Amino acid sequence: MSTNHSSAIGSAVHAKKAEIFCRDEARVDWHSKALWMLREKRDRAAASLPEWEQLRQLGSELKLHTLTNLGHYLEEFEKNCLDNGILVHWAKDGVEHNQIVHKILAAKQVKKLVKSKSMLTEECHLNPYLESQGIEVIDTDLGERIIQLAGMPPSHIVVPAIHMKKEEVGDLFHEQLGTEKGASDPLYLTRAARAHLREQFLSADAAMTGVNMAIANKGAVVVCTNEGNADMGANLPKLQLHSMGIDKIVPDLDSAAVLLRTLARNATGQPITTYSSFYRGPQTDGEMHIIIVDNGRTEMLQDKILAESLKCIRCGGCLNTCPVYRRSGGYSYNYTIPGPIGIAVGAQNDDTNSIPWACTLCGSCSYVCPTKVPLDKIIHHHRRLKAQAGKLPYGKRSYMPLVGNFMASETMLNCSMSVARTALRVLPGSILKPFSGAWGKYRELPVAPSSSFETWFNKNRGK
Amino acid sequence: MSSKQSILNALKKVAVEPQALPTFDVAPRIDDVIAQFETNLNTVAGTLHKTGGVEALQAHIDELTAQGKQVISTTDGIKGNRAVPGTAHQLRDIDYAVIPGDLAVAENGAIWVNNKNLGHRVTPFICENLFLVIKADTVVANLHEAINQIGLEQGEFGVFIAGPSKTADIEQALVVGAHGACSLNVYLI
Repeated sequence: MSTNHSSAIGSAVHAKKAEIFCRDEARVDWHSKALWMLREKRDRAAASLPEWEQLRQLGSELKLHTLTNLGHYLEEFEKNCLDNGILVHWAKDGVEHNQIVHKILAAKQVKKLVKSKSMLTEECHLNPYLESQGIEVIDTDLGERIIQLAGMPPSHIVVPAIHMKKEEVGDLFHEQLGTEKGASDPLYLTRAARAHLREQFLSADAAMTGVNMAIANKGAVVVCTNEGNADMGANLPKLQLHSMGIDKIVPDLDSAAVLLRTLARNATGQPITTYSSFYRGPQTDGEMHIIIVDNGRTEMLQDKILAESLKCIRCGGCLNTCPVYRRSGGYSYNYTIPGPIGIAVGAQNDDTNSIPWACTLCGSCSYVCPTKVPLDKIIHHHRRLKAQAGKLPYGKRSYMPLVGNFMASETMLNCSMSVARTALRVLPGSILKPFSGAWGKYRELPVAPSSSFETWFNKNRGK
Repeated sequence: MSSKQSILNALKKVAVEPQALPTFDVAPRIDDVIAQFETNLNTVAGTLHKTGGVEALQAHIDELTAQGKQVISTTDGIKGNRAVPGTAHQLRDIDYAVIPGDLAVAENGAIWVNNKNLGHRVTPFICENLFLVIKADTVVANLHEAINQIGLEQGEFGVFIAGPSKTADIEQALVVGAHGACSLNVYLI
């Protein structure tokens, strides 16, 4: 695998990991354009609905309403699930979630589990846990299967293998699935994966999916896919499991309809995902389990600003639009979920204390979000939290207070700016460039104006 | 304390301002819902057949079975050459499944299918090609209208199907036919 993948393992400050990704400039351009294409499709889909802004507002309000009454809706959901013959489990963290899943599987002597995309199970590191217990886990979403075969985590929450070129997928499939050497046609590779995964579906002992929405007053879960992998899994073996964060609850079908209208449009520009499946009970003679997971979410609800990140429906729209994500890649965030939403929900656990700064605060993410999660505000809040906890990165801790004092003094600022203008005019760039640090690495020094703005203003606009 | 209790306790007090559940009054686009449905079905790579009704569909299926294709039908008045098997796994060689949809949604080309009409739940996913049959007067404008008309009784399974299965996971190239059906034809009767 290329250097782009090497940054996926282990944590390092964002700038360091981004630097690794940026070594291959042509690939970075390609990555950025592929994601921007998704943003453009999203824009067309959003513009096709006159009620788009109304849907965003409704999405935000119904999510906030649910978050303020979460205990009530979770209990209602559990009661209705039980009435529907669905077994419900509660896990306070990832460890407990994994143990519950293992217990359910072990009771049925499950050897092979087929799993559709679930960011929650990534967050809980379920796969390695089950594998250590001797259970084979097959990720069935094509993108997830690709990265599973490559031994890598996802680099995007909707298109997990977006960082890989088709030639790399071709090489991987040649080694692992026996496709023709050198073949890289997406249709050919997809068909090969279809044949390979069909055998897995047909021989699996149990299936697991994530949950897009859990409908409290029905006791039903909604699972959305384009490939049909969640349904091929859940409807073949007699044992089906669904893992959900507590934030996936919605009160009723009307609420689910609002989110279903925006989810796919905002993710890929499709009017709806190919399959939006509503499971309100197990198949005949089957068994259905739902595992409700907290894993830090109740704690986030105690902070007014962080709480709003739980409105997220995981469409990935904020990743696609983010100028930093598009040019630094999904492996630069030290967290399973990258991009703006990854910072919002993952920065607490970032041991490098650098991830909240992987952001220009441009606000594009908040602008595209289908439930109006104020991502830029949350990211800014994370910076404050890091500062309050005394965890600012070295540079920001040491020189930023000095810069603050310096810029607050009119005399010092005017005097040094005058020196800087003169220096820019008379000294060669090669001498000055080192003083600009990382900023100057990919930029030219500015052309110095002849005077300060204040002098210009007083001369031309002043009294 | 159980994990359930500790989660519920932690939720007794949250920092979010109280917010009422909004009312969902989104104006539907009601001009020619069939045409809207067809446009959106095409967008999601499905094909609509508006003429010929049940007879034309049966004639097409007879051609397919004459070619040796394996066809299962759970639609009244349409006959294939396979019966609902004892286990879901026995559907693995089905070439075509003919399934009735309860209603269709103009704004996104989706069709609601309930498990009562499926035999095994996996039928619309495991078949190589899918035929969905809907009545013209069941096409509604948008998902807000559809969601209040879907059948989803206790213990049931239902699914909105919008087109054949697809993926763009390799370099964003759209490939129709991922894990579910490779094609979708919708017959209006």
